[in-house]
Amino acid sequence: MLPHGDDEEKWLAEGIAGIQHNAFYMHRALDSNDLKDALRYSVQMLSELRTSLLSPHKYYELYMRAFDELRKMEMFFREETARGTISVIELYELVQHAGNILPRLYLLCTVGSVYIKSKEAPAKDVLKDLVEMCRGIQHPVRGLFLRSYLCQISRDKLPDIGSEYEGDADTVNHAIEFVIQNFTEMNKLWVRMQHQGPTREKDKREKERSQLRDLVGKNLHVLSQIEGVDLDIYKETVLPRVLEQVVNCKDELAQHYLMDCIIQVFPDEYHLQTLETLLGAFPQLQPTVDIKTVLSQLMDRLSNYAASSIEVLPEFLQVEAFSKLSNAIGKVIEAQVDMPVVGAITLYVSLLTFTLRVHPDRLDYVDQVLGACVKKFSGRAKLEDSRATKQIVALLSAPLEKYNDIGTALKLPNYPRVMDHLDNGTNKVMAVVIIQSIMKNTTCISTADKVEALFELIKGLIRDMDETQDDEIDEEDFKEEQNSVARLIHMLHNDDPEEMLKIICTVRKHIILGGPKRLPFTVPPLVFSALKLVRHLQGQDGDVIGEEISATPKKIFQILHQTIEALLSVPSPELALRLYLQCAEAANDCDLEPVAYEFFTQAFILYEEEVADSKAQVTAIHLIIGTLQRMNVFGVENRDTLTHKATGYSAKLLKKPDQCRAVYACSHLFWVDEQDGIKDGERVLLCLKRALRIANAAQQMANVTRGSSGPVILFIEILNKYLYFFEKGNPQVTSSVLQGLIELIKTEMQTDGSSDPSADAFFASTLRYIQFQKQKGGAMGEKYDPIKI
Amino acid sequence: MASRRRMLLKVIILGDSGVGKTSLMNQYVNKKFSNQYKATIGADFLTKEVQIDDRLFTLQIWDTAGQERFQSLGVAFYRGADCCVLVYDVNVMKSFDNLNNWREEFLLQASPSDPENFPFIVLGNKIDIDGGNSRVVSEKKAKAWCASKGNIPYFETSAKEGLNVEAAFQCIAMNALKNEPEEDIYLPDTIDVAGGGRQLQRSSGCEC
Ligand SMILES: Nc1nc2c(ncn2[C@@H]2O[C@H](COP(=O)(O)OP(=O)(O)O)[C@@H](O)[C@H]2O)c(=O)[nH]1
Ligand SMILES: [Mg+2]
Repeated sequence: MLPHGDDEEKWLAEGIAGIQHNAFYMHRALDSNDLKDALRYSVQMLSELRTSLLSPHKYYELYMRAFDELRKMEMFFREETARGTISVIELYELVQHAGNILPRLYLLCTVGSVYIKSKEAPAKDVLKDLVEMCRGIQHPVRGLFLRSYLCQISRDKLPDIGSEYEGDADTVNHAIEFVIQNFTEMNKLWVRMQHQGPTREKDKREKERSQLRDLVGKNLHVLSQIEGVDLDIYKETVLPRVLEQVVNCKDELAQHYLMDCIIQVFPDEYHLQTLETLLGAFPQLQPTVDIKTVLSQLMDRLSNYAASSIEVLPEFLQVEAFSKLSNAIGKVIEAQVDMPVVGAITLYVSLLTFTLRVHPDRLDYVDQVLGACVKKFSGRAKLEDSRATKQIVALLSAPLEKYNDIGTALKLPNYPRVMDHLDNGTNKVMAVVIIQSIMKNTTCISTADKVEALFELIKGLIRDMDETQDDEIDEEDFKEEQNSVARLIHMLHNDDPEEMLKIICTVRKHIILGGPKRLPFTVPPLVFSALKLVRHLQGQDGDVIGEEISATPKKIFQILHQTIEALLSVPSPELALRLYLQCAEAANDCDLEPVAYEFFTQAFILYEEEVADSKAQVTAIHLIIGTLQRMNVFGVENRDTLTHKATGYSAKLLKKPDQCRAVYACSHLFWVDEQDGIKDGERVLLCLKRALRIANAAQQMANVTRGSSGPVILFIEILNKYLYFFEKGNPQVTSSVLQGLIELIKTEMQTDGSSDPSADAFFASTLRYIQFQKQKGGAMGEKYDPIKI
Repeated sequence: MASRRRMLLKVIILGDSGVGKTSLMNQYVNKKFSNQYKATIGADFLTKEVQIDDRLFTLQIWDTAGQERFQSLGVAFYRGADCCVLVYDVNVMKSFDNLNNWREEFLLQASPSDPENFPFIVLGNKIDIDGGNSRVVSEKKAKAWCASKGNIPYFETSAKEGLNVEAAFQCIAMNALKNEPEEDIYLPDTIDVAGGGRQLQRSSGCEC
């Protein structure tokens, strides 16, 4: 008897045709006020509902057709009784003569509705009669639909208080009694369905039962809408009666669904005030019931209620909602040993959400929930189930979102323990969430202890957790992660130098373990953070008089030295060189000559031994020259050594133009335009002359190799250097030297057939500048006067 | 008496759960409102007599569950609707965004003969909350959407304060009445005076 899809459509079509056919004659009878025929055809029409061939969905379609027709019958009954053609009591008797029970009961309910409306009998009596009579249908699907019809037509006719059908003092109880009785009968029909028919059709039946569930649940909705059901009545009568039915039916599907219904249809206040009773039912349910979903829904609902207004919070405290829920969850998890981890975590997420909304001040509750989670995980390997880990991320993110302060999470002893159970991937996701929370709230982490705890939390980003996965990591993702760590390092700060130094050491301890891939990202922010501290100390010179001061620039430079050294293993010499130079400059500002010298030495060693690429060399040499130029801490001897080296490197660069430019840049090493700056005009000139020689050589080389003239632009650049020193008053640079150089360039440019427009423009503007200075008059004009252009 | 069918106007209220469908119906039919949230399960209706141009009609107002898990039997009750009321909460963007889904779902499932002209009405509910300060859907935006869907009438309501509820349902009733009924024009093969001849016709399989 498995209805095939097409067959079912055919049966439905036939059923509908039957209804339409009889409805046609029924309408004709109604139009001619022929009660007897109207009844006859309506009975035939309703007989279509006797079918057993349709699935609940299709049956519902058929039912709705009949339902709409019955509204016309109802209207007719009302008109007839109003006109006095027949009394409603007679009508109620009359329809009971219908031959077949199902049509008879549909008609009876329809007349019953008119009967109650007429108020010729108390509503409770008519309802009681109807709900009893419906027992006559024991076929589950037919019975459920018949009773849902009863439920519908009685919906606005219950003897509720305030209703026009209100009865004696006990009126609300009568209303409740009627609904609960109908509910109980429907639930029995619904449960029984499971046990009828062959076992091989069990799945299909399960599906059909599931479709039918709202017919049963509707009764609970009706109960919740009864005005007279106040908290007392709910507590004393409604809830116990409904739960009794739910527990005793011992049916998995029914229990799950009906618990969900109870939670959704009754108001929050009622749940809070009856939590014990409600939660008490859970352990009595069948072991296969998916309690966690239902419990989660209860907690979610209560959480939303708590969030709706602070005025309701005292209610929660008064009934000790947290401990009741927490206990209930504990019991459920204990009892359902087979519950997958994800189930347990889902419960904890709901409980945590609840706690954060209701008891934001109770960090101990938060930690208690996390602790319960840890307990659940204990003895397990890392969690692999992606749904479970997703839930944990939700669990761990919740306190961050609530408090907007990682400091709060760091106070929770169980927080890192939960993280320890995450797989590496999820651990990283969570670490990024933590960093994002810090950045979003610009939280400053201000003690070394907190930093330690924080780095322990995000260790998944700080070091490799195992070797195998290295090549699986997406390059972009990795960069993104490490950049976020770098940003984080800037958020670690304390104005107290001692504490700040501790913070730096803590960070160093962690990042140094990061391995060659991470160090280039993490070392620079740490170096700059430490240099910031150095500058801070240097700013408050003098008041550092305490005895056990460890936060001295010297000490910090030591740490910096060791930290930058770690980059050599990467290897990342260019980065290390830059950082050494930064340190040298800071040491210069602290007046620490030996330290500065040492940093330069390190930078030079790197330059000589590690920087091999010629482009990198050019960049490095200009950095060296620039930094060295700004140094004023060095005595003559040290300075000579360093400048000598720098000029030596410059002259040894691979390409002539690079050599030339580096060498003329070196001229600045001998002329510092400051009060006490070195001013060695002779050596300046040596550099410039050397640059000229190199430019010449470059010129000749170009002639040989390409048959064209070389980079005349080099000469113009050198001319500009000459002009600079000329103006600064270097006695070695005279107007005649300048004149010679200008002439040289002019000839060069004439012989050069293919002129370089940028060189032309450069030269022209240089000459314009000279012209301008000449015309300016005063000392400068005089100085320029001898030059002819 | 031929107008018996036309004395009943069927109205379906749709919208996300929590927007106030049940409250609107209760306010209109029973003049009652409760702050408590009680989910609706399945579908059912309340009736109310309305007067239009000196004629009395019965408005059959179907309230529905906005949550799918409480709509297990499907939506066969959409059939024969004369008007569909789409409700959203002016304080919840998602509920407004979903109006389109509800409208399309209705047209698909109820399959009215003339979907272009089927009467819808949109209600933006809960305008009382926070003196209107927490609203996220502006009247302008809602009206623009209504205009784009064939000039659907639009009302801003508060089920709590009873604001505009009466007016909205009056409009609903008028539009329901304007809707051309989709009478299943049933013509039996033979006029069967004696009745009971149905079995014979069934074999023809004609459903007309
Ligand atoms: N402030 C306010 N609350 C409303 C209004 N309409 C409904 N509510 C509340 O919103 C919640 C959901 O209402 P309900 O009618 O059950 O929504 P439904 O799921 O669409 O049927 C209930 O707590 C109502 O008290 C309104 O106009 N103003
Ligand atoms: Mg509702």
